[in-house]
Formats: sequence, C-alpha cells, structure tokens
Amino acid sequence: MIKLRDVNKTYPGAVPLHVLKGINLDVERGELVSIMGASGSGKSTLLNILGILDNYDSGEYWLDGTLIKNLSENKAAEYRNRMIGFVFQSFNLINYKNALENVALPLFYQGVSRRKRNQLAMEQLERMGLADRAHHLPGELSGGQKQRVAIARALITRPSIILADEPTGALDSRTSKDVMEVFKQLNRNEGMTIVIVTHDPGVGEQTDRIIRISDGVIA
Amino acid sequence: MKLTIFDIENWKEIGATLARNKTRTFLTGFGIFWGTAMLAILLGGARGAKDLLMRNFDGFATNSGILFTSNTTIPYKGHAKNRSWQLDVTDLERLRANFPELQTVTEMYSNYGVSSRHGRYSYSGNVSGVAPQYAEVMLPAIYSGRFINEADMSMGRKVAIVGKKVANELYPTDPSPIGQTIEVNGIGYTIVGICGQTNEIQMNGKLDESILLPATTFRRAFKRGDKVDVVMIVAKNGTKIANLDSRMRRVIYSRHAISPDDMAAMDIFDISEKFEMVENLFLGVSLLALFIGLSTLLAGIIGIGNIMWVIVKERTQEIGIRRAIGAKPSDIIVQILSEGTMLTMIAGIAGICFAALALGITQTLTANEVSTPQFQMNLSQAFTIMGTFVVLGTLAGLIPATKAMKIKPIEALNDK
Repeated sequence: MIKLRDVNKTYPGAVPLHVLKGINLDVERGELVSIMGASGSGKSTLLNILGILDNYDSGEYWLDGTLIKNLSENKAAEYRNRMIGFVFQSFNLINYKNALENVALPLFYQGVSRRKRNQLAMEQLERMGLADRAHHLPGELSGGQKQRVAIARALITRPSIILADEPTGALDSRTSKDVMEVFKQLNRNEGMTIVIVTHDPGVGEQTDRIIRISDGVIA
Repeated sequence: MKLTIFDIENWKEIGATLARNKTRTFLTGFGIFWGTAMLAILLGGARGAKDLLMRNFDGFATNSGILFTSNTTIPYKGHAKNRSWQLDVTDLERLRANFPELQTVTEMYSNYGVSSRHGRYSYSGNVSGVAPQYAEVMLPAIYSGRFINEADMSMGRKVAIVGKKVANELYPTDPSPIGQTIEVNGIGYTIVGICGQTNEIQMNGKLDESILLPATTFRRAFKRGDKVDVVMIVAKNGTKIANLDSRMRRVIYSRHAISPDDMAAMDIFDISEKFEMVENLFLGVSLLALFIGLSTLLAGIIGIGNIMWVIVKERTQEIGIRRAIGAKPSDIIVQILSEGTMLTMIAGIAGICFAALALGITQTLTANEVSTPQFQMNLSQAFTIMGTFVVLGTLAGLIPATKAMKIKPIEALNDK
C-alpha cells in the first residue's frame, strides 16, 4: 500500500537541514503500524510526505500503486481528498460547523450534493456512536467525541490509508484507549490500512508493527 | 475546474459560513451598507437640494429682467443730480421697436395698501395693473377663470383677477367668486379669474395676496397718465439680458436727459443672472457630493479589503484544514471571493434601500402644495452604485484571497 524508496528531504536555509536521509519503508494493505521517534527525528516530515502535504527531494513514494511525486497543488489536493484520511492531535475541526457538516466537508470538495453528503456523514457518525451529537458544534463535544468526529471525517471518502498524527496526544488515558480501540476495530473488521505517528510507547504497543525513525533514517 | 459560481451547493456553503460568523459578517457588512447608503443619499440629496433651490424660480421666465428707476446721480444737460424721473409708455414702445431680441416688453403698476371690500368683508393690500404679457414673465397659476386679455386692455374693462388669498378673505363662503363684484378703492370690478404663484419671487408682493387689473384700467383709476412703474422684459432664447444692458440704457436715457454714465439712475435686474448663480452653486454642490461620495466609496472598499485580510489571517487554520482534506487552491479563492461578493451584494442592497427610505422621508418633509423636490436616485444610478461596489468589493477581496490561496496546509496546521 505504501512504498518509499530512498526518500530524501532537505529543508533549505542558511544551514540546509537534511531531515530524511534515504527512507525505505513498506506498509502492506490492512496493516496497522506506528511510526515512533524522538522529536527532531524526522517523523513529522515523514508524515507530511506520506500525507502529500509536503514534497520530497529525491526517491520515490508509491501510494496504492500511484507514484506521488512533483504533484501540482490541484493534483495533490485531489489525491489527499480521495486517498488519505487525516486524524490530527488537535482534531482540526472547523469550529463554526457542527459535527455533521465537519464530517461531510471532504465530500463538498468532491462535488457531492448536500443531501447525499449529509446522509453519508450521518452513517459515519452512527458508526462512531455519535448520531445524537450530529448537530453539536465542536465546542460542545468532549475531546474523545471530537476525535471520533475527526475519524468519521477521515473515513467518509473511503480513503486508501488513515494517517493519524498523535491521535491520543490531547486525550486522557481512558479516552485514549477508546480511540485506539476505534482504530483497531477499523483495522480488524474492515481491513483499513492505518499509520499512526506517536511518541507514546503505549500506543505503539497496540499496533501490529512499530517503525522507529531516528536521525532521518529507519532504525 | 467545475464552475463553482453556478453551483447552488457552493452558495449554500457560503451562506452557511456567513451565517455562522454573525458578528464578523455584520461588521463587514455594516461598512459596505454605510458606504452605499452615504453615496446614494449624497447623490439623491444633491438632486433634491437643487430642486429645492429651483423651486424659488418655478413659474418665472428665467431669461427675464426688470427695469425700474431711481433718482439721477450725475448732473447732465443742465439738470442737477438727484432728479426724480419715471419710465413711460413711449419707452415701452421704443424698447419694443428697437429690440427684436426681446420677445416680451410689458409694464406693471402697483399701489400698496389699497382697500377693497365685498359686502361686510374688507381687505387691504397690493393692487397692480398689468398687461396680458405679464403672464409670459411671471407665469401665474390660474386656479379658475381666466387672465387679463387684450380686449380688457383695449376697452379698459372694469375686471379684476384676484389672488387666492384675497378671494378667501373677501368671499369666505364662495369657493369660486368668478362673476362677483369686488370694490377696489371705491370702484366696482367684476372678478374674472383667481390666481396665485408657484415660486418664491416677490414682485410687489406675492400674487396670492394681490389684485390685478388691466393696465389701461389701472392707469385711469389711479390717475397715472403715461408713466409706468416698472418695465418687465423677456429675452428670446440665446440672448443675454446683460448684453442688451448698455443699448437699453442709451435708448431710454437719451429721451430723459440722463447721463449715459449714470448707472444708478436705472436698475436692470437680471433674473437670468440669479438663475445662473444658482445653477453654478448647484454644480459646486454636485461636484462636492460626488467627491465626498467617491471618497466614502474608496474608504468602504479599503475597509472591505482590510476586513477580508483580517478574516483570512484569523482563518488560516481553517483554510489549512480545508486544504488538507482536499480543497484545491481555486476552491479557496472562490470561497473567499464569493463570501466577499455575497456580503457586498446583501449589504449594498440594504444600503440602497436605507438611502431610498431616507430620501423618501426627506422628500415628504420638504414637499409643499405646489411642488415636490425630487430627493431620488433613478434606478440606473442605484444599480451603478451597487455594481461599482460589488466589482470593487470583489477586487478588494482579491489580494487577501490570493494570500489565502497560497496558504500551505502544513503551515496552517502548525499555526496553533
């Protein structure tokens, strides 16, 4: 599903920063993996590249059989929309839109009609057990509920992979467990490919495989 | 790229976004609302102000003048200065004969504080003697009956045209006292017309408060001989009264042995000059209104740009989220621009409506029985203001929107 071959990334500047030094990485379809590393190890940069949010300098990145390289802004946006579901540490919901509208938003950019996308969004919220919170604003939801809304939003386009960036970073231990349970069920029951970036060993342990990154290379 | 502008879904999304940020939407909208309203009120108000000023001239021939005499100020041909003199009927005839540029030359006589009566009612006021041509200068409003005609003049008929107010005083119970007899200075006259005036010009009192007699009848009744009080002239189109001034003085002064340099011996009051003054004044007012209006417009536009800039700044994270979940740069630019355009349109329409209401109230308050000043914009003016605002508002949103478009999702998501 994910195939990285000798991916290099350097941030230009007065002192150029070579962040990724030839990353080779494979994630199979249906895997639940975690990427762990200390801060400054390059894991955020790796996540940005996996999420097509940033470009890399050399090497190759294949996602679901598609080469992701030197894409235009429009192409990158389209691939992000169709192939990747993001889950962020700080949820990144739009605070003036209710849960249902937040979940439906990716479909708006696919040109799906309002009725259709609200219906699909409602289905996702039901799966997350949040049907009764559909018309609440993010500010009226607990942290765990917000993250489940974010997961529903990530799932609505039926993406190839879910990319989660410290998904439990802003949650207490009990809620963290709940959220991890959601990921595990998605992986087990629906064969969803999930990549979680974390520095929490407790989260890493719950995944099939831990990929450790240190100083820009996979350990 | 799909044409999102024609996509109802897109407008629903924009509407929802605007509705969810009520304070921000209101504040942005208010700036535009105020700008449009001010511009519309200024333009409509300037027109109304002109009408209000022009009302003073309503019903008066604008290219006209009035000649009246004063004592001489220069000794001439053996006469001492400070001699009193008067225009006479020969002057009238000579003016008519020598000035083809004048379409009307007519005389007017007036006596003040003349008492009139009808039965037990009495009235004291101004009585004037005029010719039918008087109506070409003053354009009186005839409420009923007729004005003085040539037959009245040649036969010296004992008829009278009475002012509306005089009629009310002397015939309080008779709505139309045509055919009744009015006694003026002891002589009975038959009332043939009721008149009044629509302008604010005072020619020996307002017509509403005067009694008019045929000039010939007046001369006999009040023993004026061949003297006339004032001469009124109307010049043909394209002729300026001011250009005839020196020639008229020459024609008249030579007969009365007045020094050609004695400008004070006769006044030629040029209405067209006053009229032009108001026209020029109004031109100034119009230019000022336009200048202020355009400044307001500019301030409004800069305001929109400014607020849109702040909006983009404060929504950096939101735009980042939208980009991360699949919004294309063009989606973002269309969203920001459409929000600006929609807001400008709604606020602009509200501003125009407010201005129309304000102008309407002003118009109602300044209207009187004879005329209603047009405190109005025409439709095309309103649409021009609206159109300008929408186009410029959209353009003002372009810079912030371009900035929003360039926001990279990672930068935005790190911006916490």
